[in-house]
Amino acid sequence: MADVSAVVTQFIRENFIAGRSDVTIDPEVSLIESGIMDSTGVLELVEYLEATFDIKVEDEELVPENLETVNNIVTFLKTKGVA
Amino acid sequence: MARLVHEFLVSSSREHPHKAAVLHGDRSASYAEIDALSNRIARMLLNAGLTRGDRVLVVMENSIENVAAYYGVLKAGGVCVEIHDRSTPAEAGYYARNSGARICILSKAASRRLEGMELPIVISMETIQGSPGQRIIPWDDLGSVPDSAPDIQLDENDLAAIVYTSGSTGNPKGVVLTHANLCSNTRAIVSYLGLNDADRVMAVLPFYYVYGKTLLNTHFMAGGSVVVNNRFAFPNAVVKEMAEREVTGFAGVPSTFAILMNRSIFTKTPLPSLRYVTQAGGAMAPALTRRLIDHLGDVPLFVMYGATEASARLTYLPPERLVKDKLGSIGIPIPGVEVAVRDDAGNELADGEVGNICATGPNIMQGYWQDPEETAKALKPWGLVTGDLGHKDAEGFLFLTGRKKDMLKIGGERVSPKEIEDALIASGMVHEAAVVGRPDELLSEVPAAYVAPIDEGSFDLESLKAYVAERLAGHKHPRFWHVVKALPKKPSGKIDKEALKNELLHEVRVA
Repeated sequence: MADVSAVVTQFIRENFIAGRSDVTIDPEVSLIESGIMDSTGVLELVEYLEATFDIKVEDEELVPENLETVNNIVTFLKTKGVA
Repeated sequence: MARLVHEFLVSSSREHPHKAAVLHGDRSASYAEIDALSNRIARMLLNAGLTRGDRVLVVMENSIENVAAYYGVLKAGGVCVEIHDRSTPAEAGYYARNSGARICILSKAASRRLEGMELPIVISMETIQGSPGQRIIPWDDLGSVPDSAPDIQLDENDLAAIVYTSGSTGNPKGVVLTHANLCSNTRAIVSYLGLNDADRVMAVLPFYYVYGKTLLNTHFMAGGSVVVNNRFAFPNAVVKEMAEREVTGFAGVPSTFAILMNRSIFTKTPLPSLRYVTQAGGAMAPALTRRLIDHLGDVPLFVMYGATEASARLTYLPPERLVKDKLGSIGIPIPGVEVAVRDDAGNELADGEVGNICATGPNIMQGYWQDPEETAKALKPWGLVTGDLGHKDAEGFLFLTGRKKDMLKIGGERVSPKEIEDALIASGMVHEAAVVGRPDELLSEVPAAYVAPIDEGSFDLESLKAYVAERLAGHKHPRFWHVVKALPKKPSGKIDKEALKNELLHEVRVA
Protein backbone atom coordinates (compact mmCIF):
# COMPACT_ATOMS: atom_id res chain seq x y z
CA MET A 1 0.00 0.00 0.00
CA ALA A 2 2.78 2.40 0.94
CA ASP A 3 4.51 1.59 -2.35
CA VAL A 4 1.40 2.28 -4.39
CA SER A 5 0.98 5.56 -2.59
CA ALA A 6 4.60 6.50 -3.35
CA VAL A 7 4.21 5.59 -7.02
CA VAL A 8 1.04 7.66 -7.37
CA THR A 9 2.56 10.60 -5.50
CA GLN A 10 5.64 10.49 -7.69
CA PHE A 11 3.54 10.55 -10.85
CA ILE A 12 1.58 13.55 -9.59
CA ARG A 13 4.72 15.33 -8.50
CA GLU A 14 6.48 14.81 -11.83
CA ASN A 15 3.52 15.61 -14.03
CA PHE A 16 1.50 18.27 -12.28
CA ILE A 17 3.76 20.27 -10.03
CA ALA A 18 7.00 20.01 -11.98
CA GLY A 19 9.34 20.39 -9.07
CA ARG A 20 7.62 23.45 -7.59
CA SER A 21 8.98 23.89 -4.11
CA ASP A 22 5.91 25.76 -2.84
CA VAL A 23 3.50 22.86 -3.41
CA THR A 24 3.31 19.82 -1.19
CA ILE A 25 1.15 16.77 -1.70
CA ASP A 26 -0.83 15.91 1.41
CA PRO A 27 -2.40 12.45 0.93
CA GLU A 28 -5.55 13.64 2.69
CA VAL A 29 -6.01 16.89 0.78
CA SER A 30 -8.00 17.29 -2.45
CA LEU A 31 -5.75 17.40 -5.49
CA ILE A 32 -8.38 19.51 -7.23
CA GLU A 33 -9.07 22.08 -4.52
CA SER A 34 -5.35 22.53 -3.94
CA GLY A 35 -4.91 23.36 -7.60
CA ILE A 36 -2.59 20.45 -8.37
CA MET A 37 -4.85 18.72 -10.91
CA ASP A 38 -7.54 19.93 -13.29
CA SER A 39 -10.00 18.06 -15.49
CA THR A 40 -7.43 16.90 -18.00
CA GLY A 41 -5.03 16.11 -15.17
CA VAL A 42 -7.52 13.64 -13.75
CA LEU A 43 -7.79 11.93 -17.12
CA GLU A 44 -4.01 11.81 -17.48
CA LEU A 45 -3.81 10.25 -14.04
CA VAL A 46 -6.44 7.68 -14.98
CA GLU A 47 -4.55 6.76 -18.14
CA TYR A 48 -1.41 6.35 -16.06
CA LEU A 49 -3.16 4.17 -13.47
CA GLU A 50 -4.65 1.98 -16.20
CA ALA A 51 -1.29 1.50 -17.89
CA THR A 52 0.81 1.09 -14.75
CA PHE A 53 -1.44 -1.20 -12.77
CA ASP A 54 -3.05 -2.95 -15.73
CA ILE A 55 -6.58 -2.06 -14.70
CA LYS A 56 -9.61 -0.59 -16.45
CA VAL A 57 -11.20 2.47 -14.87
CA GLU A 58 -14.85 2.64 -15.90
CA ASP A 59 -16.45 6.01 -16.66
CA GLU A 60 -18.74 5.48 -13.67
CA GLU A 61 -15.66 5.23 -11.45
CA LEU A 62 -14.39 8.73 -12.34
CA VAL A 63 -15.78 10.19 -9.14
CA PRO A 64 -14.24 12.18 -6.27
CA GLU A 65 -14.57 9.24 -3.88
CA ASN A 66 -12.04 7.36 -6.01
CA LEU A 67 -9.71 10.09 -7.23
CA GLU A 68 -9.94 13.21 -5.09
CA THR A 69 -6.90 12.58 -2.86
CA VAL A 70 -3.87 10.31 -2.91
CA ASN A 71 -5.45 8.22 -0.15
CA ASN A 72 -8.69 7.92 -2.12
CA ILE A 73 -6.71 6.78 -5.16
CA VAL A 74 -4.82 4.17 -3.12
CA THR A 75 -8.05 2.83 -1.60
CA PHE A 76 -9.65 2.75 -5.05
CA LEU A 77 -6.69 0.83 -6.47
CA LYS A 78 -7.07 -1.66 -3.66
CA THR A 79 -10.67 -2.36 -4.72
CA LYS A 80 -9.25 -3.00 -8.19
CA GLY A 81 -6.95 -5.66 -6.79
CA VAL A 82 -3.81 -3.54 -6.67
CA ALA A 83 -2.09 -4.24 -3.37
CA MET B 1 -33.86 48.30 -20.75
CA ALA B 2 -30.63 47.86 -18.81
CA ARG B 3 -27.89 50.29 -19.80
CA LEU B 4 -25.47 49.14 -17.15
CA VAL B 5 -24.39 45.55 -16.57
CA HIS B 6 -25.36 45.48 -12.88
CA GLU B 7 -28.86 46.63 -13.79
CA PHE B 8 -29.48 43.04 -14.94
CA LEU B 9 -29.07 42.02 -11.31
CA VAL B 10 -31.01 44.95 -9.89
CA SER B 11 -33.91 44.43 -12.27
CA SER B 12 -34.16 40.68 -11.60
CA SER B 13 -33.88 41.33 -7.88
CA ARG B 14 -36.89 43.60 -8.17
CA GLU B 15 -38.89 41.09 -10.20
CA HIS B 16 -37.83 37.82 -8.54
CA PRO B 17 -36.29 38.78 -5.19
CA HIS B 18 -36.54 35.34 -3.62
CA LYS B 19 -35.65 33.27 -6.65
CA ALA B 20 -32.37 31.32 -6.49
CA ALA B 21 -29.98 33.24 -8.73
CA VAL B 22 -26.86 31.17 -8.04
CA LEU B 23 -26.71 27.60 -6.77
CA HIS B 24 -23.32 26.30 -5.70
CA GLY B 25 -22.93 22.96 -3.93
CA ASP B 26 -25.17 22.98 -0.88
CA ARG B 27 -25.51 26.77 -0.92
CA SER B 28 -27.70 29.08 -2.93
CA ALA B 29 -28.31 32.81 -3.03
CA SER B 30 -31.41 34.65 -4.17
CA TYR B 31 -31.37 37.69 -6.41
CA ALA B 32 -32.17 39.88 -3.40
CA GLU B 33 -29.29 38.37 -1.41
CA ILE B 34 -26.76 38.88 -4.21
CA ASP B 35 -28.07 42.39 -4.81
CA ALA B 36 -27.61 43.21 -1.11
CA LEU B 37 -24.16 41.60 -0.87
CA SER B 38 -22.98 43.40 -4.01
CA ASN B 39 -24.21 46.69 -2.49
CA ARG B 40 -22.11 46.02 0.60
CA ILE B 41 -19.07 45.26 -1.56
CA ALA B 42 -19.62 48.44 -3.58
CA ARG B 43 -19.80 50.47 -0.39
CA MET B 44 -16.71 48.78 1.00
CA LEU B 45 -14.80 49.67 -2.17
CA LEU B 46 -16.03 53.27 -2.05
CA ASN B 47 -15.07 53.50 1.63
CA ALA B 48 -11.62 52.23 0.68
CA GLY B 49 -11.27 55.16 -1.72
CA LEU B 50 -12.38 53.70 -5.05
CA THR B 51 -13.42 56.33 -7.56
CA ARG B 52 -15.23 56.01 -10.88
CA GLY B 53 -13.06 54.22 -13.44
CA ASP B 54 -10.64 52.70 -10.93
CA ARG B 55 -9.62 49.18 -11.74
CA VAL B 56 -10.21 46.38 -9.23
CA LEU B 57 -8.36 43.10 -9.58
CA VAL B 58 -10.61 40.13 -8.77
CA VAL B 59 -9.04 36.72 -8.27
CA MET B 60 -11.73 34.24 -7.32
CA GLU B 61 -13.05 30.90 -8.51
CA ASN B 62 -16.76 30.85 -9.50
CA SER B 63 -18.87 31.27 -6.38
CA ILE B 64 -21.72 33.29 -4.90
CA GLU B 65 -19.13 35.69 -3.48
CA ASN B 66 -17.43 36.03 -6.87
CA VAL B 67 -20.72 36.94 -8.52
CA ALA B 68 -21.43 39.54 -5.82
CA ALA B 69 -17.89 40.93 -6.12
CA TYR B 70 -18.29 41.37 -9.88
CA TYR B 71 -21.53 43.30 -9.63
CA GLY B 72 -20.25 45.13 -6.53
CA VAL B 73 -17.25 46.50 -8.41
CA LEU B 74 -19.55 47.69 -11.20
CA LYS B 75 -22.05 49.28 -8.80
CA ALA B 76 -19.19 51.25 -7.24
CA GLY B 77 -18.24 52.58 -10.67
CA GLY B 78 -15.13 50.42 -10.79
CA VAL B 79 -13.67 48.46 -13.69
CA CYS B 80 -13.56 44.75 -13.02
CA VAL B 81 -10.26 43.06 -13.88
CA GLU B 82 -10.95 39.37 -13.34
CA ILE B 83 -8.08 36.99 -13.89
CA HIS B 84 -7.48 33.25 -13.81
CA ASP B 85 -8.06 32.10 -10.23
CA ARG B 86 -4.93 29.94 -10.44
CA SER B 87 -2.71 32.84 -11.54
CA THR B 88 0.78 32.78 -10.08
CA PRO B 89 2.05 35.75 -8.04
CA ALA B 90 4.13 36.82 -11.07
CA GLU B 91 1.11 36.78 -13.39
CA ALA B 92 -1.19 38.53 -10.91
CA GLY B 93 1.54 41.13 -10.37
CA TYR B 94 1.68 41.79 -14.10
CA TYR B 95 -2.10 42.25 -14.36
CA ALA B 96 -2.12 44.56 -11.33
CA ARG B 97 0.70 46.70 -12.67
CA ASN B 98 -0.62 46.79 -16.21
CA SER B 99 -4.17 47.67 -15.23
CA GLY B 100 -3.06 50.05 -12.51
CA ALA B 101 -5.36 48.37 -10.00
CA ARG B 102 -4.87 49.56 -6.43
CA ILE B 103 -7.43 47.27 -4.87
CA CYS B 104 -7.90 43.55 -5.25
CA ILE B 105 -10.49 41.08 -4.02
CA LEU B 106 -9.21 37.59 -3.29
CA SER B 107 -10.99 34.32 -2.55
CA LYS B 108 -9.64 32.11 0.22
CA ALA B 109 -7.54 30.01 -2.15
CA ALA B 110 -6.25 33.04 -4.06
CA SER B 111 -5.39 34.79 -0.78
CA ARG B 112 -3.15 31.90 0.20
CA ARG B 113 -1.53 31.76 -3.22
CA LEU B 114 -1.04 35.50 -3.68
CA GLU B 115 -0.25 36.63 -0.14
CA GLY B 116 2.34 39.36 -0.28
CA MET B 117 1.30 40.72 -3.67
CA GLU B 118 2.25 44.39 -3.96
CA LEU B 119 -1.14 46.12 -3.92
CA PRO B 120 -2.11 48.88 -1.48
CA ILE B 121 -5.53 47.44 -0.54
CA VAL B 122 -6.59 43.80 -0.40
CA ILE B 123 -10.09 42.57 0.41
CA SER B 124 -9.48 39.00 1.43
CA MET B 125 -11.73 36.06 2.26
CA GLU B 126 -8.85 34.49 4.18
CA THR B 127 -6.97 35.86 7.18
CA ILE B 128 -3.65 37.00 5.81
CA GLN B 129 -0.84 39.14 7.14
CA GLY B 130 -0.18 41.25 4.07
CA SER B 131 3.00 43.14 3.40
CA PRO B 132 4.24 46.26 5.21
CA GLY B 133 2.08 49.28 4.43
CA GLN B 134 -0.62 47.17 2.84
CA ARG B 135 -4.19 47.50 4.08
CA ILE B 136 -5.99 44.19 4.48
CA ILE B 137 -9.78 44.38 4.70
CA PRO B 138 -11.33 41.11 5.91
CA TRP B 139 -14.31 39.95 3.86
CA ASP B 140 -16.19 39.42 7.12
CA ASP B 141 -16.20 43.21 7.66
CA LEU B 142 -18.91 43.34 4.97
CA GLY B 143 -21.39 42.41 7.69
CA SER B 144 -21.10 45.88 9.19
CA VAL B 145 -21.52 47.72 5.87
CA PRO B 146 -25.04 48.92 4.89
CA ASP B 147 -26.67 46.86 2.14
CA SER B 148 -28.48 49.69 0.37
CA ALA B 149 -27.32 50.63 -3.12
CA PRO B 150 -24.70 53.40 -3.24
CA ASP B 151 -25.65 56.47 -5.22
CA ILE B 152 -23.16 56.35 -8.07
CA GLN B 153 -24.02 57.91 -11.41
CA LEU B 154 -22.66 56.06 -14.42
CA ASP B 155 -23.45 56.00 -18.09
CA GLU B 156 -23.26 53.23 -20.61
CA ASN B 157 -19.93 54.43 -21.96
CA ASP B 158 -18.25 53.95 -18.60
CA LEU B 159 -15.70 51.17 -18.60
CA ALA B 160 -16.95 47.95 -17.02
CA ALA B 161 -14.19 45.42 -17.53
CA ILE B 162 -10.65 44.85 -18.66
CA VAL B 163 -10.28 41.26 -19.77
CA TYR B 164 -6.78 40.01 -20.41
CA THR B 165 -6.12 37.96 -23.48
CA SER B 166 -2.89 36.54 -24.80
CA GLY B 167 -1.23 38.80 -27.31
CA SER B 168 0.92 37.80 -30.24
CA THR B 169 3.70 39.92 -28.80
CA GLY B 170 3.90 37.90 -25.62
CA ASN B 171 2.45 39.85 -22.73
CA PRO B 172 -1.31 39.54 -22.29
CA LYS B 173 -3.27 42.57 -23.48
CA GLY B 174 -6.18 44.11 -21.60
CA VAL B 175 -9.36 44.24 -23.66
CA VAL B 176 -11.33 47.30 -22.58
CA LEU B 177 -15.10 46.82 -22.54
CA THR B 178 -17.78 49.31 -21.60
CA HIS B 179 -21.16 48.68 -20.04
CA ALA B 180 -22.66 49.30 -23.50
CA ASN B 181 -20.40 46.64 -25.05
CA LEU B 182 -21.39 44.01 -22.50
CA CYS B 183 -25.09 44.92 -22.35
CA SER B 184 -25.55 44.79 -26.12
CA ASN B 185 -23.81 41.42 -26.38
CA THR B 186 -25.80 40.02 -23.47
CA ARG B 187 -29.08 41.13 -25.07
CA ALA B 188 -28.14 39.56 -28.40
CA ILE B 189 -27.27 36.22 -26.80
CA VAL B 190 -30.48 36.15 -24.72
CA SER B 191 -32.39 36.85 -27.92
CA TYR B 192 -30.97 34.11 -30.14
CA LEU B 193 -30.90 31.49 -27.37
CA GLY B 194 -34.45 32.48 -26.38
CA LEU B 195 -33.53 32.56 -22.68
CA ASN B 196 -36.21 33.29 -20.10
CA ASP B 197 -36.71 33.15 -16.34
CA ALA B 198 -37.33 29.39 -16.46
CA ASP B 199 -33.79 28.79 -17.69
CA ARG B 200 -31.17 27.29 -15.44
CA VAL B 201 -27.67 26.86 -16.81
CA MET B 202 -24.88 24.61 -15.57
CA ALA B 203 -21.75 26.78 -15.46
CA VAL B 204 -18.49 24.82 -15.51
CA LEU B 205 -16.67 27.57 -17.40
CA PRO B 206 -14.87 30.16 -15.27
CA PHE B 207 -16.48 33.59 -15.03
CA TYR B 208 -13.16 35.37 -15.62
CA TYR B 209 -13.40 34.00 -19.16
CA VAL B 210 -15.77 35.97 -21.41
CA TYR B 211 -17.73 32.88 -22.47
CA GLY B 212 -18.24 31.95 -18.81
CA LYS B 213 -19.23 35.51 -17.97
CA THR B 214 -21.92 35.50 -20.66
CA LEU B 215 -23.60 32.61 -18.84
CA LEU B 216 -23.85 34.77 -15.74
CA ASN B 217 -24.98 37.99 -17.39
CA THR B 218 -27.47 36.39 -19.79
CA HIS B 219 -29.19 34.45 -17.03
CA PHE B 220 -29.24 37.47 -14.73
CA MET B 221 -30.80 39.49 -17.54
CA ALA B 222 -33.41 36.77 -18.18
CA GLY B 223 -34.07 36.24 -14.47
CA GLY B 224 -32.96 32.61 -14.69
CA SER B 225 -30.58 30.68 -12.45
CA VAL B 226 -26.91 29.75 -12.66
CA VAL B 227 -25.66 26.47 -11.23
CA VAL B 228 -21.96 26.74 -10.40
CA ASN B 229 -19.83 23.61 -10.46
CA ASN B 230 -16.06 24.12 -10.42
CA ARG B 231 -15.31 20.41 -10.40
CA PHE B 232 -15.42 19.40 -14.03
CA ALA B 233 -12.34 17.35 -13.13
CA PHE B 234 -15.04 14.88 -12.14
CA PRO B 235 -17.38 15.13 -15.10
CA ASN B 236 -19.74 12.51 -13.72
CA ALA B 237 -20.46 14.64 -10.68
CA VAL B 238 -21.32 17.50 -13.06
CA VAL B 239 -23.60 15.29 -15.15
CA LYS B 240 -25.35 14.04 -12.02
CA GLU B 241 -25.88 17.59 -10.82
CA MET B 242 -27.25 18.57 -14.24
CA ALA B 243 -29.86 15.84 -13.80
CA GLU B 244 -30.62 16.63 -10.14
CA ARG B 245 -30.91 20.37 -10.69
CA GLU B 246 -32.91 19.88 -13.88
CA VAL B 247 -30.72 22.32 -15.78
CA THR B 248 -32.08 23.64 -19.06
CA GLY B 249 -28.78 24.74 -20.57
CA PHE B 250 -25.16 23.69 -20.81
CA ALA B 251 -22.14 25.47 -22.28
CA GLY B 252 -18.73 24.08 -23.09
CA VAL B 253 -15.55 24.42 -25.11
CA PRO B 254 -14.36 21.57 -27.34
CA SER B 255 -12.41 19.85 -24.55
CA THR B 256 -15.51 19.92 -22.33
CA PHE B 257 -17.43 17.93 -24.91
CA ALA B 258 -14.50 15.61 -25.65
CA ILE B 259 -14.44 14.67 -21.97
CA LEU B 260 -18.23 14.42 -21.69
CA MET B 261 -18.59 12.24 -24.77
CA ASN B 262 -15.52 10.07 -24.24
CA ARG B 263 -15.04 9.68 -20.51
CA SER B 264 -18.24 10.29 -18.62
CA ILE B 265 -21.75 9.01 -17.98
CA PHE B 266 -23.15 11.90 -20.08
CA THR B 267 -24.33 9.66 -22.91
CA LYS B 268 -26.00 7.25 -20.47
CA THR B 269 -27.73 9.85 -18.33
CA PRO B 270 -31.21 11.10 -19.25
CA LEU B 271 -31.44 14.89 -19.01
CA PRO B 272 -35.11 15.55 -19.81
CA SER B 273 -34.97 19.21 -18.76
CA LEU B 274 -32.08 20.08 -21.07
CA ARG B 275 -33.38 22.59 -23.64
CA TYR B 276 -30.20 23.66 -25.44
CA VAL B 277 -26.41 23.28 -25.48
CA THR B 278 -23.85 25.84 -26.65
CA GLN B 279 -20.28 25.33 -27.84
CA ALA B 280 -17.67 28.01 -28.42
CA GLY B 281 -14.02 28.56 -27.54
CA GLY B 282 -12.49 27.20 -30.73
CA ALA B 283 -13.34 24.87 -33.55
CA MET B 284 -14.51 21.45 -32.47
CA ALA B 285 -13.59 18.45 -34.59
CA PRO B 286 -16.53 17.84 -36.96
CA ALA B 287 -16.61 14.16 -35.97
CA LEU B 288 -17.12 15.09 -32.31
CA THR B 289 -19.76 17.68 -33.24
CA ARG B 290 -21.58 15.02 -35.23
CA ARG B 291 -21.50 12.56 -32.33
CA LEU B 292 -22.73 15.25 -29.96
CA ILE B 293 -25.61 16.19 -32.27
CA ASP B 294 -26.58 12.55 -32.64
CA HIS B 295 -26.56 12.09 -28.90
CA LEU B 296 -28.51 15.28 -28.16
CA GLY B 297 -31.28 14.35 -30.59
CA ASP B 298 -33.99 17.01 -30.32
CA VAL B 299 -31.93 19.24 -28.02
CA PRO B 300 -30.42 21.98 -30.21
CA LEU B 301 -26.67 22.60 -30.25
CA PHE B 302 -25.66 26.22 -30.84
CA VAL B 303 -22.14 26.42 -32.29
CA MET B 304 -20.85 29.93 -31.68
CA TYR B 305 -17.82 32.05 -32.48
CA GLY B 306 -16.43 35.16 -30.92
CA ALA B 307 -13.52 36.94 -29.36
CA THR B 308 -12.72 38.64 -26.09
CA GLU B 309 -12.42 41.81 -28.20
CA ALA B 310 -16.10 41.39 -29.11
CA SER B 311 -17.28 41.13 -25.49
CA ALA B 312 -17.62 37.44 -26.31
CA ARG B 313 -19.92 36.67 -29.16
CA LEU B 314 -19.85 37.49 -32.89
CA THR B 315 -21.69 34.68 -34.66
CA TYR B 316 -23.86 31.66 -34.01
CA LEU B 317 -24.97 28.80 -36.20
CA PRO B 318 -28.72 28.22 -36.08
CA PRO B 319 -28.99 24.63 -34.84
CA GLU B 320 -31.33 23.51 -37.62
CA ARG B 321 -28.73 24.52 -40.22
CA LEU B 322 -25.97 22.75 -38.28
CA VAL B 323 -27.97 19.55 -38.56
CA LYS B 324 -29.18 20.14 -42.10
CA ASP B 325 -26.24 21.39 -44.12
CA LYS B 326 -23.76 23.70 -42.37
CA LEU B 327 -21.60 21.46 -40.18
CA GLY B 328 -18.19 23.16 -40.00
CA SER B 329 -19.59 26.71 -40.30
CA ILE B 330 -19.44 29.26 -37.48
CA GLY B 331 -22.77 30.59 -38.69
CA ILE B 332 -24.15 34.06 -39.15
CA PRO B 333 -23.65 37.31 -37.22
CA ILE B 334 -25.58 37.70 -33.97
CA PRO B 335 -28.26 40.44 -33.88
CA GLY B 336 -26.77 43.94 -34.19
CA VAL B 337 -23.36 42.78 -35.40
CA GLU B 338 -21.95 42.75 -38.92
CA VAL B 339 -19.21 40.36 -39.93
CA ALA B 340 -17.37 40.67 -43.23
CA VAL B 341 -14.45 38.92 -44.92
CA ARG B 342 -11.90 41.52 -46.02
CA ASP B 343 -8.44 41.80 -47.51
CA ASP B 344 -5.60 43.54 -45.66
CA ALA B 345 -6.66 46.92 -47.10
CA GLY B 346 -10.19 46.49 -45.77
CA ASN B 347 -11.90 45.68 -49.07
CA GLU B 348 -14.75 43.23 -48.70
CA LEU B 349 -14.09 40.00 -50.56
CA ALA B 350 -16.47 38.02 -52.72
CA ASP B 351 -18.22 34.88 -51.48
CA GLY B 352 -15.81 31.99 -51.23
CA GLU B 353 -12.68 34.13 -51.09
CA VAL B 354 -10.52 33.67 -47.99
CA GLY B 355 -9.62 36.78 -46.02
CA ASN B 356 -9.65 38.45 -42.62
CA ILE B 357 -12.76 37.97 -40.50
CA CYS B 358 -13.71 41.53 -39.45
CA ALA B 359 -16.61 42.74 -37.35
CA THR B 360 -18.46 45.89 -36.40
CA GLY B 361 -21.12 46.35 -33.78
CA PRO B 362 -21.94 47.73 -30.34
CA ASN B 363 -20.07 44.84 -28.70
CA ILE B 364 -16.63 45.67 -30.12
CA MET B 365 -14.01 46.69 -27.53
CA GLN B 366 -12.75 50.23 -27.04
CA GLY B 367 -9.17 49.02 -27.52
CA TYR B 368 -6.36 47.39 -25.58
CA TRP B 369 -5.61 49.01 -22.24
CA GLN B 370 -2.89 51.63 -22.66
CA ASP B 371 -1.61 49.98 -25.82
CA PRO B 372 -2.33 52.24 -28.82
CA GLU B 373 0.00 50.27 -31.06
CA GLU B 374 -1.80 46.95 -30.61
CA THR B 375 -5.16 48.73 -30.66
CA ALA B 376 -4.35 50.25 -34.05
CA LYS B 377 -3.53 46.80 -35.41
CA ALA B 378 -6.84 45.33 -34.22
CA LEU B 379 -9.28 48.22 -34.69
CA LYS B 380 -9.34 49.43 -38.28
CA PRO B 381 -11.77 51.90 -39.86
CA TRP B 382 -13.62 48.84 -41.18
CA GLY B 383 -13.92 47.21 -37.78
CA LEU B 384 -12.29 44.68 -35.51
CA VAL B 385 -9.76 42.49 -37.26
CA THR B 386 -10.18 39.23 -35.38
CA GLY B 387 -6.96 37.61 -36.57
CA ASP B 388 -8.96 34.68 -37.91
CA LEU B 389 -9.07 33.82 -41.58
CA GLY B 390 -12.17 32.54 -43.30
CA HIS B 391 -14.74 32.87 -46.03
CA LYS B 392 -18.46 33.32 -46.52
CA ASP B 393 -20.67 31.08 -48.60
CA ALA B 394 -23.43 32.31 -50.92
CA GLU B 395 -25.95 32.29 -48.07
CA GLY B 396 -23.72 34.39 -45.82
CA PHE B 397 -22.60 31.54 -43.55
CA LEU B 398 -19.05 31.97 -42.32
CA PHE B 399 -16.33 29.33 -42.29
CA LEU B 400 -12.98 29.60 -40.52
CA THR B 401 -9.88 28.41 -42.30
CA GLY B 402 -7.15 29.33 -39.84
CA ARG B 403 -5.52 31.94 -37.69
CA LYS B 404 -3.25 34.65 -38.91
CA LYS B 405 -1.53 34.99 -35.58
CA ASP B 406 0.78 32.46 -34.06
CA MET B 407 -1.45 31.51 -31.14
CA LEU B 408 -2.19 28.28 -29.33
CA LYS B 409 -5.71 27.30 -28.37
CA ILE B 410 -5.39 25.17 -25.27
CA GLY B 411 -8.77 23.95 -24.17
CA GLY B 412 -10.81 27.13 -24.51
CA GLU B 413 -7.91 29.41 -23.70
CA ARG B 414 -5.88 31.36 -26.18
CA VAL B 415 -2.22 31.32 -25.21
CA SER B 416 0.67 33.11 -26.84
CA PRO B 417 3.67 30.84 -27.44
CA LYS B 418 5.77 33.96 -27.03
CA GLU B 419 4.69 34.33 -23.41
CA ILE B 420 5.95 30.80 -22.67
CA GLU B 421 9.10 31.29 -24.76
CA ASP B 422 9.85 34.51 -22.88
CA ALA B 423 9.61 32.67 -19.58
CA LEU B 424 11.93 29.92 -20.84
CA ILE B 425 14.53 32.43 -22.00
CA ALA B 426 14.20 34.47 -18.80
CA SER B 427 15.37 31.40 -16.87
CA GLY B 428 18.89 32.04 -18.13
CA MET B 429 19.22 28.30 -18.73
CA VAL B 430 18.52 28.23 -22.47
CA HIS B 431 19.66 30.44 -25.29
CA GLU B 432 16.86 29.57 -27.66
CA ALA B 433 13.32 28.39 -27.10
CA ALA B 434 10.35 27.73 -29.32
CA VAL B 435 6.88 26.66 -28.27
CA VAL B 436 4.48 25.07 -30.71
CA GLY B 437 1.11 23.38 -30.36
CA ARG B 438 1.06 19.60 -30.25
CA PRO B 439 -2.29 18.18 -31.35
CA ASP B 440 -4.23 16.81 -28.39
CA GLU B 441 -7.46 14.87 -28.46
CA LEU B 442 -8.94 16.60 -25.42
CA LEU B 443 -7.52 20.11 -25.46
CA SER B 444 -7.18 20.63 -29.24
CA GLU B 445 -3.52 21.37 -28.62
CA VAL B 446 -1.02 21.52 -25.79
CA PRO B 447 2.27 23.42 -25.59
CA ALA B 448 5.43 21.56 -26.63
CA ALA B 449 8.72 23.28 -25.88
CA TYR B 450 11.98 23.04 -27.82
CA VAL B 451 14.92 24.41 -25.88
CA ALA B 452 18.62 24.73 -26.60
CA PRO B 453 20.61 24.87 -23.32
CA ILE B 454 23.28 27.49 -22.80
CA ASP B 455 25.49 24.92 -21.12
CA GLU B 456 24.57 21.35 -22.00
CA GLY B 457 26.76 19.96 -19.26
CA SER B 458 25.06 21.73 -16.37
CA PHE B 459 21.57 21.93 -17.89
CA ASP B 460 18.87 20.46 -15.69
CA LEU B 461 15.44 20.15 -17.33
CA GLU B 462 13.69 19.74 -13.99
CA SER B 463 15.02 23.11 -12.85
CA LEU B 464 13.72 24.71 -16.03
CA LYS B 465 10.29 23.10 -15.53
CA ALA B 466 10.21 24.39 -11.97
CA TYR B 467 11.18 27.88 -13.12
CA VAL B 468 8.32 27.98 -15.63
CA ALA B 469 5.87 26.44 -13.18
CA GLU B 470 6.47 29.24 -10.72
CA ARG B 471 5.76 31.91 -13.30
CA LEU B 472 2.96 30.65 -15.52
CA ALA B 473 -0.46 29.20 -14.77
CA GLY B 474 -0.77 25.44 -15.25
CA HIS B 475 -2.37 25.41 -18.70
CA LYS B 476 0.67 27.27 -20.07
CA HIS B 477 3.20 24.71 -18.82
CA PRO B 478 4.72 22.78 -21.72
CA ARG B 479 3.50 19.17 -21.68
CA PHE B 480 6.23 17.95 -24.00
CA TRP B 481 9.89 18.88 -23.87
CA HIS B 482 12.57 18.55 -26.48
CA VAL B 483 16.13 19.46 -25.50
CA VAL B 484 18.13 20.16 -28.65
CA LYS B 485 21.51 21.61 -29.55
CA ALA B 486 19.97 24.24 -31.81
CA LEU B 487 16.58 25.07 -33.30
CA PRO B 488 15.93 24.82 -37.03
CA LYS B 489 16.09 28.20 -38.79
CA LYS B 490 14.63 29.75 -41.90
CA PRO B 491 16.97 31.52 -44.34
CA SER B 492 16.00 34.77 -42.60
CA GLY B 493 17.42 33.38 -39.37
CA LYS B 494 13.99 33.11 -37.75
CA ILE B 495 13.15 29.89 -35.96
CA ASP B 496 11.39 27.54 -38.36
CA LYS B 497 8.28 26.70 -36.37
CA GLU B 498 6.71 24.90 -39.32
CA ALA B 499 9.56 22.37 -39.20
CA LEU B 500 8.96 21.85 -35.49
CA LYS B 501 5.23 21.45 -36.02
CA ASN B 502 5.85 18.87 -38.73
CA GLU B 503 8.21 16.99 -36.42
CA LEU B 504 5.52 16.96 -33.76
CA LEU B 505 2.87 15.75 -36.19
CA HIS B 506 5.18 12.91 -37.18
CA GLU B 507 5.67 12.09 -33.48
CA VAL B 508 1.92 12.05 -32.89
CA ARG B 509 1.34 9.81 -35.92
CA VAL B 510 3.92 7.20 -34.92
CA ALA B 511 2.97 7.33 -31.21
